Amino acid sequence: MKYLMLIYGNQEKWASIPADQWPEVIARQDAFNRRYRATGELIGAYGLADEISARLVRREGGQPAVTDGPYLETKEYIASFYLLDCESEERAHQIAADMPFADVDPVEVWPILHEAKPDL
Amino acid sequence: MTTSRSDVEGLLRELAPQVLTALVRRYGQFHLCEDASQEALLAAAQQWPSGGLPDSPRGWLITVASRRLTDQVRSEQSRRTREELVAVATPPSELLGPPADAEPADRDDSLALLFGCCHPDLSSPSQIALTLRAVGGLSTAQIAAAFGVPETTMAQRISRAKQTIAGAGFDFSLPSGAERTERLRAVLHVLYLVFNEGYTASEGDTLTVPALSQEAIRLTRWLHRLLPDDGEVAGLLALMLLTDARRPARTRPDGSLVPLAEQDRSRWDQAKIAEGVALVTGALPRGDVGPYQLQAAIAAVHDEATTMADTDWPQILGLYDLLELAAPNPFTALNRAVAVAMVRGPAAGLEVIAALEADKRVARHHRLIAARAYLRELAGDTAAAAADYLDAARRATSLPERRYLALQASRLGG
Repeated sequence: MKYLMLIYGNQEKWASIPADQWPEVIARQDAFNRRYRATGELIGAYGLADEISARLVRREGGQPAVTDGPYLETKEYIASFYLLDCESEERAHQIAADMPFADVDPVEVWPILHEAKPDL
Repeated sequence: MTTSRSDVEGLLRELAPQVLTALVRRYGQFHLCEDASQEALLAAAQQWPSGGLPDSPRGWLITVASRRLTDQVRSEQSRRTREELVAVATPPSELLGPPADAEPADRDDSLALLFGCCHPDLSSPSQIALTLRAVGGLSTAQIAAAFGVPETTMAQRISRAKQTIAGAGFDFSLPSGAERTERLRAVLHVLYLVFNEGYTASEGDTLTVPALSQEAIRLTRWLHRLLPDDGEVAGLLALMLLTDARRPARTRPDGSLVPLAEQDRSRWDQAKIAEGVALVTGALPRGDVGPYQLQAAIAAVHDEATTMADTDWPQILGLYDLLELAAPNPFTALNRAVAVAMVRGPAAGLEVIAALEADKRVARHHRLIAARAYLRELAGDTAAAAADYLDAARRATSLPERRYLALQASRLGG
């Protein structure tokens, strides 16, 4: 069963973490990543660049047309995402609860659609 | 003489557990032997199709694997493993015994290998991965492709599983009594999960993306040869064959699902049905009837009906009653509710479902809501059925199932 975990945040939130705490924050996240890569459950962990670097792309006349944006109305945007492949939804929830900041902010857990067909 | 790649692949997969058990029997060190055995299989897969088969394929594999093991030990001379592997100097020819299913000792080794791969300390994805590699002889790349994960993730999962086995102290002693029953149940569950994983849409090159349902049938057939008198092994093999027999009819060319009631039964595989029916009818009278035999018996009743209307629903309901006693499970109870509806009418089935809604494990599960939708439609409550189909579609995580349920909702105007 595959799951997507999403972490939200914004600049204001990152700025509230004192600079001297960053190494520890990063170390905790790295430890989490190593731990679940080692079990063969974490397929990938990716942090996203700042909102300022995001672009909107359309196709116009067969060519990519790129504009600035998105202009988000929500206060927080996706900061990082994680792909899991694990035994059950319960296990995915366990792993999510083990994310470094899950005691402060919730982690979104989305089941990923699969192609398996039940016998009807 | 050249041999086709798929013939070589088939032969290698048959030999895989024999080579591994021969190595582990002699050298111990499950983890290292499994790597060496896998390397020998890969070398053979590359060389044999063009170079032809060696006189003794099994002997060739054991010799090559032993050499790899020696190389590995030499390259890790400073490690403790060297002391534990002094036996590596033994000539590989001494390892060549009779094939696996000829002697009881080899049969027990094969079983011990399977029990080890399905060790209770492992999660089920790890049990599945290790079984497919160590017993099924599939490569990590093939297993990764079958599960849609990167090879590195699968390699990590297998490596961790092997460490766990090594930590638990893998040996060839077979458990007895209740523990043996418990361990065999775990093995059957793993094979059952592999079979269900095989129900995927991607049917590409089966050499790179193996058809897991076929692999599950092959391994269960192998286990049935090892344990011909075990009713549950026979029952699981029968269940797989009787379910797989319907495969040609259960999907439209566009990939969409065809429910049992609408399947073109002339497309069911009669050879598989006959084999499955023979297996389950042979197993049932031996007594000690377990859940796989009962599920196989239910599948057999469906497969023997020429139309949905001809289905012997009272018999199916009786079998579900027994199944609920043998292995109580909310999803069994849900299937039984549908059988109740077919025998006593939709209102009676809906009453059973209403009782199940108290069980939190299933109350919000799409299967319950989809079954309720079906019975509400039968009862003529179209609006409620449409709402249920839509709700079930939203909760389903299987894409084909979600499409099917959404289609039912729109058919009813939901």
